[in-house]
Amino acid sequence: MKKTVKRNLIIVFAIIILGTIAIVFYLFNMPHRDVQATKTDFSLSSSSVVAEYLANAEAANQKYLEEEGNSKILAITGNVYSISEDLKNQKVVLLKDSTDKAGVSCTFTSETNAHASQLAIGQKVTIKGVIRAGAGYDADLDLYENVIMEKCDIINNN
Amino acid sequence: MKKIIVITLAISALATMAFKSATTKLVSNNAHINFFSHTALEDISSNNYKVVSTLDQPTGDVVFSVPMQSFEFEKALMQKHFNSKDFLDTKKYPKAKYIGKISNLSDINFAKDGTYKANATGELTIKDVTKPVTATGSITVLNGKITLNSKMNLTLADYNITFSKGKPSTNVAKEVTITTEAVYLPQ
Repeated sequence: MKKTVKRNLIIVFAIIILGTIAIVFYLFNMPHRDVQATKTDFSLSSSSVVAEYLANAEAANQKYLEEEGNSKILAITGNVYSISEDLKNQKVVLLKDSTDKAGVSCTFTSETNAHASQLAIGQKVTIKGVIRAGAGYDADLDLYENVIMEKCDIINNN
Repeated sequence: MKKIIVITLAISALATMAFKSATTKLVSNNAHINFFSHTALEDISSNNYKVVSTLDQPTGDVVFSVPMQSFEFEKALMQKHFNSKDFLDTKKYPKAKYIGKISNLSDINFAKDGTYKANATGELTIKDVTKPVTATGSITVLNGKITLNSKMNLTLADYNITFSKGKPSTNVAKEVTITTEAVYLPQ
C-alpha cells in the first residue's frame, strides 16, 4: 500500500517536471503568428485607414497596434498605385487613391510574392496583412509616410 | 506697390521651395536595417525592410524613419520581448528616427559613378530619448542610383533600455551594431 502511494507520487512529480520543461521549450521555440491563417480584425479601405491616422495618429495607434508587436490584422481594399520590390526581394504593393496624401504599403512574403506579381496598376484589390505603423506627415523627411502592412497576401481581386 | 512686393516675394519663395524639393532630395523606400547583438552565450540578429529615408545631395542631410514593429527576429518570443513595454515599447513609440549630416560631403561626387567613403554625425531618437551618434560607411553611385551603406554602434543603456534580471540581462549585449543599406531614387 505504502509502496503504491510512493510510486504514484513519483509519477505525479515526473509529470509536473516534464510538463514544465515542455512549456518552457514551447515558449522558447514558439512559432511566429501565421498572419494569413489568423482572423481579420478590421476590414476597411486604404483611404479610411489613412484618414483615421491623419486625423488622430495617437487614437489610431491605440486601436491598431498591440503592445507585444502582434498588432491588428487588417483587410485593406484599395487601388494598386505601384508595385516594387524590397531588399529581401519581397513584393511591395502600394494601395493608394490618387487624391489621398498617403496610402497603405503592403509587403508580401517569399510564399505570396507570386500573387502580387499578377496585379496591375489601378486594379482594385483587397490585401490582408498585419499593421506595423501608421500614416502621417513627417517634417524631417518632408514627406507623408504610408501605413505599413507586412506578411501580406491578396484575399480578393475582383 | 506693397501688394506687388508681397506677391513677388511669395512667388519667388514658392518657386525656390518647388525647385528644392523637385531636384535635390532623394527618397528611399527600399532600405534595410540590421540589428546585431553578440554575447558569448548568444548572437541575436533582427532585420527591418520597411525603413524610409531621404538624402539631400547639396547639404548631405540624411533622415531615417524606422517603424519599430517591423523588426523581425528568428524567435517569436524574442520579437515579443523586443516590442514589449520593458524593451522598446513599440505601441507607445512606433517609430525611431535618425537625423544626420554627411561630414565629408566634398569627397563625394554624386554625378560620377564610384564608391565613396562617407562619415556622418547626427542624432538618433529611440523611445523619445535623443542622443548623438556617429556612423561610418560608403556611398555608391551607379547609373544614377545612389546606395548608402553604414554602420554604427549603440549603447542600449543610453536609451534607457536595460535588463536587470533573467535571460536578457546575460544574453543581450550592452552595445549593439546597427547596419544600414538604403537605395535612393529621385523623388
